[in-house]
Amino acid sequence: MDLQDDVSNQQNSERGSQISHLALDIGGSLVKLVYFSRNNDSRRDDDNEQRSRNECLGVSDSDTCQPFLDGRLHFAKFETSKINDCLEFICSKKLHLGGTLLFIPWTVIVRYPNTCLQATGGGAYKFADLFKEKLGICFDKEDEMDCLVTGANFLLKVVHQEAFTYLDGQKEFVQIDHNDLYPYLLVNIGSGVSMIKVDGDGKFERVSGTNLGGGTFWGLGRLLTKCKNFDELLELSHQGNNRVIDMLVGDIYGGTEYAKIGLSATTIASSFGKAISDNKELEDYKAEDISRSLLRMISNNIGQISYLNALRFGLKRIIFAGFFIRGQAYTMDTISVAVHYWSNGEAKAMFLRHEGFLGALGAFRSYEKQSLDGLMVHKTVQKNPSSISSAGDKSCCSLNSDSKNENEHSGCSVYGM
Amino acid sequence: MAPPASNSIHRSGSRPQLDLSKAAIQGNSEERDPTILLPNQSDDISHLALDIGGSLIKLVYFSRHEDRSSDDKRKKTVKERLGISNGNRRSYPILGGRLHFVKFETSKLNECLDFISSKQLHRGGIDSHRWNSEAPANENAVIKATGGGAFKFADIFKERLGVSIDKEDEMDCLVAGANFLLKAIRHEAFTHMEGHKEFVQIDPNDLFPYLLVNIGSGVSMIKVDGEGKFQRVSGTNVGGGTYWGLGRLLTKCKSFDELLELSQRGDNRTIDMLVGDIYGGMDYSKIGLSASTIASSFGKAISDKKELEDYRPEDISLSLLRMISYNIGQISYLNALRFGLKRIFFGGFFIRGHAYTMDTISFAVQFWSQGEAQAMFLRHEGFLGALGAFMSNEKHGLDDLMVHQLVERFPMGAPYTGGKIHGPPLGDLNEKISWMEKFVLKGTEITAPVPMAPHGTTGLGGFEVPSSKGCTLRSDASALNVGVLHLVPTLEVFPLLADPKMYEPNTIDLSDHSELEYWFTVLSEHLPDLVDKAVASEGGTDDAKRRGDAFARAFSAHLARLMEEPAAYGKLGLANLLELREECLREFQFHDAYRSIKQRENEASLAVLPDLLMELDRMDEEARLLTLIEGVLAANIFDWGSRACVDLYHKGTIIEIYRMSRDKMQRPWRVDDFDLFKERMLGSKGKKPRPHKRALLFVDNSGADVILGMLPLARELLRRGTEVVLVANSLPALNDVTAMELPDIVAEAAKHCDILRRAAEAGGLLVDAMNNTLDGSKENSSSVPLMVVENGCGSPCIDLRQVSSELAAAAKDADLIILEGMGRALHTNFNARFKCDALKI
Repeated sequence: MDLQDDVSNQQNSERGSQISHLALDIGGSLVKLVYFSRNNDSRRDDDNEQRSRNECLGVSDSDTCQPFLDGRLHFAKFETSKINDCLEFICSKKLHLGGTLLFIPWTVIVRYPNTCLQATGGGAYKFADLFKEKLGICFDKEDEMDCLVTGANFLLKVVHQEAFTYLDGQKEFVQIDHNDLYPYLLVNIGSGVSMIKVDGDGKFERVSGTNLGGGTFWGLGRLLTKCKNFDELLELSHQGNNRVIDMLVGDIYGGTEYAKIGLSATTIASSFGKAISDNKELEDYKAEDISRSLLRMISNNIGQISYLNALRFGLKRIIFAGFFIRGQAYTMDTISVAVHYWSNGEAKAMFLRHEGFLGALGAFRSYEKQSLDGLMVHKTVQKNPSSISSAGDKSCCSLNSDSKNENEHSGCSVYGM
Repeated sequence: MAPPASNSIHRSGSRPQLDLSKAAIQGNSEERDPTILLPNQSDDISHLALDIGGSLIKLVYFSRHEDRSSDDKRKKTVKERLGISNGNRRSYPILGGRLHFVKFETSKLNECLDFISSKQLHRGGIDSHRWNSEAPANENAVIKATGGGAFKFADIFKERLGVSIDKEDEMDCLVAGANFLLKAIRHEAFTHMEGHKEFVQIDPNDLFPYLLVNIGSGVSMIKVDGEGKFQRVSGTNVGGGTYWGLGRLLTKCKSFDELLELSQRGDNRTIDMLVGDIYGGMDYSKIGLSASTIASSFGKAISDKKELEDYRPEDISLSLLRMISYNIGQISYLNALRFGLKRIFFGGFFIRGHAYTMDTISFAVQFWSQGEAQAMFLRHEGFLGALGAFMSNEKHGLDDLMVHQLVERFPMGAPYTGGKIHGPPLGDLNEKISWMEKFVLKGTEITAPVPMAPHGTTGLGGFEVPSSKGCTLRSDASALNVGVLHLVPTLEVFPLLADPKMYEPNTIDLSDHSELEYWFTVLSEHLPDLVDKAVASEGGTDDAKRRGDAFARAFSAHLARLMEEPAAYGKLGLANLLELREECLREFQFHDAYRSIKQRENEASLAVLPDLLMELDRMDEEARLLTLIEGVLAANIFDWGSRACVDLYHKGTIIEIYRMSRDKMQRPWRVDDFDLFKERMLGSKGKKPRPHKRALLFVDNSGADVILGMLPLARELLRRGTEVVLVANSLPALNDVTAMELPDIVAEAAKHCDILRRAAEAGGLLVDAMNNTLDGSKENSSSVPLMVVENGCGSPCIDLRQVSSELAAAAKDADLIILEGMGRALHTNFNARFKCDALKI
């Protein structure tokens, strides 16, 4: 499924498919949805999907009377402030009626008042009443950290070429030995940032965090640039030049480096430090430059604090996830540079292709604990790298505020389940 | 009699002359802290050092001055005849002087250059008179500087002032400055938690290692292992520049301080996304996050429909402040942890003594370290680099500077200028007075006591609650003042202190608010009377009245400032408060407000002394001793510092009151060790104890106190073969007798008493008699000497860590100390322990 898939295409793809297991991660700024659509025997017109279905190893588990599980995991996201769009989406897709119910489009669906959805994130508490009222469903609240870790472990173990490093514009996938995965530091950058030391499945501890996160970037960015959305702001940062606003070591030392302590002239001494002395007002600065400066400030800070925490616990791997990153080259580059710089190359920053959906995935996985034990794919092999890479790119999908829900939700698809 | 002119009375030796011709307030004189230009100032100034940072220029300069008291012949003569350590007393390699701290905004570099130029600071003060003319600039002049601007502005300094800048490494300077402050200044470091400030006594021998976090435009984190031994281990680019830069863009504030002031009234919850916002008001208790923890700074600005204009600048400022402070605290802690450092000192201009900033940083450190690490702050936070650059100049001679040689004074302007950018205090009396008059209007607005919000009533704990916010409305309410450091090389630690490290002079700690309030009331009520006396002492002229008014305003401002922020001038004890009053009087050139009163009292007391001595001589030894001690207690009632006694004094003649009150001094007293004393003096069971070799008698008031109380006691000791050294104030304080006045009093008393006369002659106190006895008469050698030394201070109390070298020398052979009076034996030193016998009366 491509980003450009039109509505009818999607409906086609879902028509006749069995949708089940919606899980939500309702964060401070975004609602993330993960749902599973099981491919049934109906004809598929998408070659890739067809192929993928055929090539995927099915999972059979004797314990759960589910002889064949083949389908797709869908990822979608909404702005938390537009929670109603999300509700509509769920309603239109009948996602809340999932479970093991088989349904056929265009038929009238009866509401099941006792339906429960797995949900995590702060919004699982905040919006519980709303979901009950509007959709008649209740939330099975999953612990946020649990979900993040479960989701990350799942991705790192199951999905090939999930983790990658990013330095100097070079993206490099990292093959992680499942047996040598732990311990690692998971840094989830949402509105705020959580840093979790992961020692195994379900074994983890939130060791730190920072309140300078994605919400800060967007919030400050919105105030400073009048950008209408996060992606626009990120987009702007590409063309920006932070030297206009940041005070660099060179600005203080008159162009010379402060070599003695290893600071080059272009090192940022003080983010937004130039906005002090200039006679310029906010309007005189280019939005691009502001965005760039802001992005560097926050990325660098997260990179630094993460490294310090990794150091503290002797963790060599730092895995960054969360919606702040969005596969943004510059963001990842800054974080990587920060980790590299502070660790003298000792520690490495790694990123995940499904960075934004850890929590939702984790919540989703908790279905397995109840009814789908064994869905856990022990030997799932991803045999369709081309499809994966295109799916991966899709995770940058925009968060448009327009009303075309069908476009908004189209997340990446993961095959292999 | 009024002092002739401002240039002759400088007994303290700490008042350099200022040439105030053409003095002008620079810029808008309605500013809170105008810089005063003294174009013809020829103060003997040397050693300027600069720290030119991204946003502020910090200056530290040292002004030396001659010991102007040496021309006081009378005093000199007395000292010469003292026979103690006169030889090397003046042979100190360094002269006294003052260390000044000044700051300018870097964007106003020209003001800074003008300032330096006007004070001739760059000429090192050498032959500075010559430079007032059109003399060509000294091509070889060099000033020490650090900070990035030392490189950037080197050319401008060369061009404008004709001086080269000797660039010192920034980190070197920061560390040298911090080490100096932590070692040399008592009450430099303090903790600040939830609005509560507490000074930390740091043992200079147990200072290292520590983490020094300097928050300027950016932030440097330095691990310090010793003098010159350090490593920059980390830093962050989210610092003071970020706060001010972003703040300026978001709020249109015109200055850093304005922005900081706004934060006082802010509520960051309108902009920050709290854990509660995400969790619908609930805590995420599983991981220890309460609902009011900030999950994402500025996170609410995301989802709202509001634009920048819809947010209050106050809220934005607070949100920014918390974001940055918290972040710095966190990164600092992580670095301290990494190197196992328990102490983290935060310095740099971002902090500015701002309570909320310090609270936030402290909370972050405490939160993340779970109480293991402690954030500490420095009063001279902004001047680390400049001080370090100053220290790098080897010629300053301050290398072996000891804590006890530094006295910090807070000039008149201090309550107004706070932690602000300001020039040095005005020097000219007229300027001072008009400054006071001008600012008194503003002053009422600035210093009017602000309603205090009761502490801890918000019901929320931790860093989520700006607990120190809202207590005050002034932006600089919690700014700690940086005074002028007076270097008095002749000061020494009193050698007989049993444990100088643990010694704390103040018995009364004014950080206790009710104590402070009590003394505030006492001093305020006494103020009009004091002003009357002060004005009368100067002849009651219009000029004296004007100065009296200005003094009252200035001192009231100090009081108001201290009521608001007891720690503003460092740890506040009663001794400090009382000394502040005396300093304040001297600043308005009231050098001896009680001059005539003291004289009258002395005369009255001396007149009845012979009667008293006769009465005493009729008693047996034991009764005499008790009566003497009772007499000291009784005579001490004549204390102008105590309001109750002022009334008493008017009701009878001096001897009647003395006898009346002596009779009232029935034992047992509140603290009564008389029997112990008696045994030591007279022995028991017929054994005669060895008399003391030398006794130091710390005298208190003029009049009855010293003449009818202490002198008879001294006489008794002399009679027993004990040398007596009368220790008196160097400078007048209230009606306390001074070391200058004592010889005359003793001489007068000696006329009626042989014991006193021979002892005084032996001690060189009788100048005229001395001349007579020089002709071979050795009869005076039969008596042990009675001597007088100055104690080095000008306060009703005494801090034994800082006494004159004279006293220190006299103490060497002393084995008995008698401290007398409320100020020296009760308000201070009540808990002091000595190496020898000590009597506190």
